Amino acid sequence: MEQNAIYELLAGVLGDGALGYNEHALEPWADVAPARIAEACRFLRDDPRLGFDQLMCLSGLDWDGFDETGKGKSTAILGYTDDGKPETSDRVGTGELGVAYHLYSHALRHKFTLRVRVPRDAATVPTVGGVWSTAQWHEREAWDLLGITFAGHPDLRRMLLDDEWVGHPLRKDYVMPDTWSGVPLQGQPYCANPFPVETGGPDQPAGDQPAEG
Amino acid sequence: MKLMYDFFTGQLGLDATGANISVASVMAVIMFTVMALCAIVLTWMERKVAGFMQSRYGPMYTGRFHGWAQAVADMLKILGKEDIIPAESDKGLFKFAPILVLLGSLLAWAAIPWAPDFVAADFDLGLFYIFAVSSLVVIGILMAGWASNNKWALYGAARGAAQMISYEIPLALAAVPVVMRAGSLNPSDIVIAQQGGIWHWNINPITNPFLFIAFFMYFIASIAETNRGPFDMPETESELVAGYHTEYTGMRFAFFFLAEYANLFLVSMIAAMVFLGGWWAPIPVLDRFIPPALSFIIKGMLLVFLNMWVRWTLPRVRVDQLMHLCWKVMIPVSLLCVVGAGVWMMALGQLK
Amino acid sequence: MASESTRVNVPGAVSGNGWHDQDHVPGIKSELLELNMGPQHPATHGVLRLLLQTDGEIVYKVTPVLGYLHRCAEKIAEGVNYKQWVVYTDRFDYLAPMCCNHAYVTAVEKLMGQEVPERAEHIRVAVAELSRIASHLIALATFGLDMGAWTPLLYCFREREEILNLLERISGGRMLYNYMIPGGVRYDVPNDNWVADVLDFVDLMEHNKLPEYNTLLTYNKIFIERTADVGVIDAATALDYGCTGPVLRGSGVDFDCRRDDPYSVYHKFDWQVQVGRGEMGTLGDCWDRYIVRAREIEQSCRLIRQALQQLPEGSYQALALKAIVKAPAGAAYTRVESAKGELGHYIISDGGQTAFRNKVRSPSFCNLQVVEKVGVGQMVSDLVALVGSLDIVLGEIDR
Repeated sequence: MEQNAIYELLAGVLGDGALGYNEHALEPWADVAPARIAEACRFLRDDPRLGFDQLMCLSGLDWDGFDETGKGKSTAILGYTDDGKPETSDRVGTGELGVAYHLYSHALRHKFTLRVRVPRDAATVPTVGGVWSTAQWHEREAWDLLGITFAGHPDLRRMLLDDEWVGHPLRKDYVMPDTWSGVPLQGQPYCANPFPVETGGPDQPAGDQPAEG
Repeated sequence: MKLMYDFFTGQLGLDATGANISVASVMAVIMFTVMALCAIVLTWMERKVAGFMQSRYGPMYTGRFHGWAQAVADMLKILGKEDIIPAESDKGLFKFAPILVLLGSLLAWAAIPWAPDFVAADFDLGLFYIFAVSSLVVIGILMAGWASNNKWALYGAARGAAQMISYEIPLALAAVPVVMRAGSLNPSDIVIAQQGGIWHWNINPITNPFLFIAFFMYFIASIAETNRGPFDMPETESELVAGYHTEYTGMRFAFFFLAEYANLFLVSMIAAMVFLGGWWAPIPVLDRFIPPALSFIIKGMLLVFLNMWVRWTLPRVRVDQLMHLCWKVMIPVSLLCVVGAGVWMMALGQLK
Repeated sequence: MASESTRVNVPGAVSGNGWHDQDHVPGIKSELLELNMGPQHPATHGVLRLLLQTDGEIVYKVTPVLGYLHRCAEKIAEGVNYKQWVVYTDRFDYLAPMCCNHAYVTAVEKLMGQEVPERAEHIRVAVAELSRIASHLIALATFGLDMGAWTPLLYCFREREEILNLLERISGGRMLYNYMIPGGVRYDVPNDNWVADVLDFVDLMEHNKLPEYNTLLTYNKIFIERTADVGVIDAATALDYGCTGPVLRGSGVDFDCRRDDPYSVYHKFDWQVQVGRGEMGTLGDCWDRYIVRAREIEQSCRLIRQALQQLPEGSYQALALKAIVKAPAGAAYTRVESAKGELGHYIISDGGQTAFRNKVRSPSFCNLQVVEKVGVGQMVSDLVALVGSLDIVLGEIDR
């Protein structure tokens, strides 16, 4: 089914819960009101015309500092300084958080993308773990790394990080701690190339020229 | 034995008690040496067999020729290892368990008749004694698992106890028809009853087909009794880490290791003794040229090889399937063998 | 980590098995045994930790605890540019890095709208399928090892060694290749008879080695006893838990990204998607998942043969090696069929050289979740079989 036709069906059910349809050449998506997302997902799964039986991916997003103009000038994330200390910044993150849902129907072979955006200080989205069980771990991961709370999730614990970890590292304003459990954390600045070479790489076989283009 | 006894009484002038004690001591030393030696040889052999099965070489460097000294080097290394006793373990039992496991198989070695009149403890209940003392191993395993205070070890011990106790039944039952045929529990008598070449061995299916079946019952049960694949429930290294000896290190671990191979060799020797004619060569003429002990050990080694072959070929069964096999298949079949062999022998007038 | 108070009603936690926490035997107080399987355990294929609650041999609750191999790959993706991040994809599924490379460069190319030369795509298919064979070999080998069969492990590693040698000759790396770049591959096919050697290997693999594994392991009676009817994942559960790849196909769902969501040049070749058929027991048991992998090796051999026999002439890179890659603003979710299942990248670009967000949907992560449901009520040995048959790799789960 065409993407906008799917959106029409969805908007028909959600009413004002469907916030808009974004036509994009690569991947159109529908914006949904956060509070209605579980309802939307349930409809998309259960309606025989849609039949989205697989949640391919659930991604937590942080839109803080995103360059809307498309020039690639988004605020850089904080890394490490040259001496291996975590970079700090006075900037306080203001952008919204979001969740993207990528659905697929095995029977009807079509895809659809939903997105929600929630304010940073009240980042709560209803869980869709009751619709697709696979969402539970994805949501735990989104909670762990981005601090998005999923209301109604049965087991919202940290997924990849330790239970005692402070903060949510995938947020754009996340500052790495100096130490953790008494262990000093050391890093390297991103993009520091230890092998600055003129052409090719150090492991480039002889006589193998890069192609034109 | 007679010769040795005569040597002690005649040449050294000892009285009967002194001579008996001396003979026993000499035999004990010999048995222990042979046992340690065979564990080393079998370790090396297992590696080479495994390598052969798995299209690789196995040890190749230590000692130049096909890594023959690898097992020796490993033993030396293991002697130098730190002896760790877990803090929360039951220390007394923890220390005693490996000794008990080793003791179980070592005691059974005493009653193996290596050659005519060359057996450490030649007594009439020999076969019964062998099965009885080798059951000590299960107590050792249970002790080790319990004393380690480790859940995996406990699992291994519980599985091991269930398995070994169960499989002792078909193991012993399989030997009963042989006892009936030989009319004796004395290992030497059982071997002597098979004199006269391969046709007179107990395994011959024409003489008595039930004995032939009993041999396979014995062989399968003996694999389970030695805790080797595909029945290595107490260890199951992919499930229980290392089973009952998870917490053991150094020399104590080596004791378990030693006991495993001593046990392997022991059950193979018993099979050779009970079913494959013990020290008799396949053709009576050869008895003049091949020393009886050599003939006996070759048979034992062939069975050990078979055992290793099975281990490196088959996947492991699950613990409930193992029990199913024992109680629902092997014990009935073994019982059938006992009854069938008896009827067969009565019908043909072979009973003694 | 999981205390009782924080765990509420996880689907799959069974209460109706006749278990009453106390008075299991009247008069004797008993409780479930908490068992820590992992992070250092031979059957967890890495640093997975399974928190079990068992009653003797029966498992009552499985709680996977992840994160022992977390390397912040997604955070790093926001700090390095597109080409620099290829090297991190190697580290996801380190048993099939070419597939991971392929997934990432496909995603970036889709975002860039970059055309890839035909020759490069053929090379990519060939190396990705070689990588898939290597990964499936490990899956078969370690699954056999979980079942206590040692010898197939060594046999499979022997063949994997050949694949590593072949991939080393084309990429320079034995395990982590960093071979594909957006717009092509890093090096052309070496001119030392590589293609002929690969074709020889593929023939050997298909006609000689696979039958050997089948005789030794696949149709072994004990192996079938251990795996048939064990760890049954039905199709509905598999879809619900987002299982993909051989796990999904083992449950009888006929789906393969290579065929049904085409990417690269897979549509040009003649091959079949392998689906579990419940031959030895219930559909979706461990044996089905095993046999799907074994048969996929065969199909990969066919793909490699076709990709290399039809290898077109021409360039193998659309962009110069040094060129800085920029993707126009936008977002796209791209998935490919990696060795373990559907490996997806959700990349949001703000128009610069660096991804604004790069979410990796790793197949093992989703496949593993199903043990919370299916592992319950099994024996400990069967849980080992189940985890083995899911063929997880922790580099991909923890990222």
